[in-house]
Amino acid sequence: MKHTLRRDFTAWMIMLPGVILFTFFVWYPLVMGTRLSFYETKGITTVAFAGLSNFRAVFSNPDFWPAVVNTFKYCLWSLVIGFLAPVALAIGINEAAFGKNLFRVSVYIPNIVPGLATVFLWRFLFRSGESGALNMLLSALGLPMSSWLSNGAIAVPLIVVTMTWKSAGATMLIYLAGLQGINPELYEAAIIDGAGVWGRVRNITIPNILSLGRTLLILQIIAVFQILYEPLVMTNGGPNNASISLMQMVYRYAFDRFEYSKASALSVLVSVILITLTLVYNRTTRSKAA
Amino acid sequence: MRTIDQNHGLIRSYDLRRPGVKAGYTVMYALLTVVALVCLMPLVWVILSGFKDQKEFLRGVQAADKRYYVRFLPQSFSTEGYLETWRTMKYFRYYVNSFIVVLGATVAAVLCNGLLAYGISRLKPRGHKIVLALVMASLMLPATTSMAPLFMNIMKLGLHGSFLPLWLAFGANAFYLVLFKSFYDEMPGSLIEAARLDGAGDVSLFFRVVLPLSMPINIVIAIYAVNAAWSDFLLPYLVLNNTVRETVMVRLFTYRSSDRIKEIEVIRAIVFSIIPPILLFVIFQRQITQNVMAAGIKG
Repeated sequence: MKHTLRRDFTAWMIMLPGVILFTFFVWYPLVMGTRLSFYETKGITTVAFAGLSNFRAVFSNPDFWPAVVNTFKYCLWSLVIGFLAPVALAIGINEAAFGKNLFRVSVYIPNIVPGLATVFLWRFLFRSGESGALNMLLSALGLPMSSWLSNGAIAVPLIVVTMTWKSAGATMLIYLAGLQGINPELYEAAIIDGAGVWGRVRNITIPNILSLGRTLLILQIIAVFQILYEPLVMTNGGPNNASISLMQMVYRYAFDRFEYSKASALSVLVSVILITLTLVYNRTTRSKAA
Repeated sequence: MRTIDQNHGLIRSYDLRRPGVKAGYTVMYALLTVVALVCLMPLVWVILSGFKDQKEFLRGVQAADKRYYVRFLPQSFSTEGYLETWRTMKYFRYYVNSFIVVLGATVAAVLCNGLLAYGISRLKPRGHKIVLALVMASLMLPATTSMAPLFMNIMKLGLHGSFLPLWLAFGANAFYLVLFKSFYDEMPGSLIEAARLDGAGDVSLFFRVVLPLSMPINIVIAIYAVNAAWSDFLLPYLVLNNTVRETVMVRLFTYRSSDRIKEIEVIRAIVFSIIPPILLFVIFQRQITQNVMAAGIKG
């Protein structure tokens, strides 16, 4: 297509609403956030250049190291609990000879429940004491009750269970699409070679969804690293900082204490960690694939 | 039991004649059933619990031996409790507010992302690659990072308590934009060219030809946006908190640390917040599940 000044102008006018909105809601806040992290703020006004003092304040906050450790714990537990579950579900549902659609819809339904409603709902299920739903279930089965989220040792994995409950269905659908894209002739060939069911899973199914899994793994880590409202609503970071996350600290700085510059400094740190993680991950998986 | 006939997947019907495979297959079915129950039961539980009153919800029902027993089913299915919460907590107003937010956000999501994607994909003016690169970069960067500066800017513009930022925020969504772009990339150009030869300008071309042709993707984005706008609470909370414009989700979020509200009211508030998305899912089940698959493969 030929570029004329008039055509280009019309095209940019068509794109203008989107460009303005992206600037206001996405690009400018990112730049401004980075700049703010080096400045002192009072309320919503910027006061003076502050060098690295915001970062020093963040590092010396007693919540900082627990939040760092917990954020990595969230990622680790989400890999243990949440990464393989959708793969296994997709393989199972794909092989189900009947009831396939029923299983697919049931597993997907939690995904359409608003995230906030999900965490409120699971906070009720995990209530400690005799009025908690799961405790009622345990005592009906004659098992001892648990203190659930009030137990610091299991608060993080329980929050990850809640997240997995909500999001596994959507990931399962993506794997299901990947499985349905596998050429049936590959299985044909494996059967002729005398491969059993397990051999077919290992040599055909898994290799064919491996690259999909690699992409979803890093996306999951990026998402879980920014975990915010799950601990905010379910435990408020407790007990004793056992479940506080980095983004929750950002939330506290910004919207409980109105220290926007410190919130920005911590956000910048989180971004740097995530970008580094992504780059390292891409490099290692690429060299393995090659 | 029905006969199993599948001869193109991983497990073939003749595999199932072997006892080991058959046992494994049965275990798989049992596990799938358990998972399906785990997915559905919390939702059934919360809806049933909403029918109970505060005492029945916390302690159960008193039996003949004077002890309290917890039951899964409520003692009665009277909707009085739900209606009372609806009235006393003024849920009608929150629903209206939520619908206004959802409507504006969906229009912005379809129109602004669609127009921008159309420009990048088909019109390609000089410099469009910079816009595309910036969009892709923002897809990689953590989104929550910009929450504090964005809120500051909204305050500076005096938009606290206004629906406007919540509508427009959906007009800048990198994920929607990528879906739109891949749709326009594959759209046959012949129809557009034909209309262009008739002398239509780019703007009228978009609204008269392109928009009607892209109804499939418009519907997908609209469904996503409706669900996302309904569920959104962080920006709505920051912008609308303590105004008359609070949405259903903002209200629910304020219950997180409130001791003055009864548990049963929170249970009913959860039910009120999940009914519209569930209705949406029931109506558009096929479109939603299929397009998640399509989007996932491309992404």
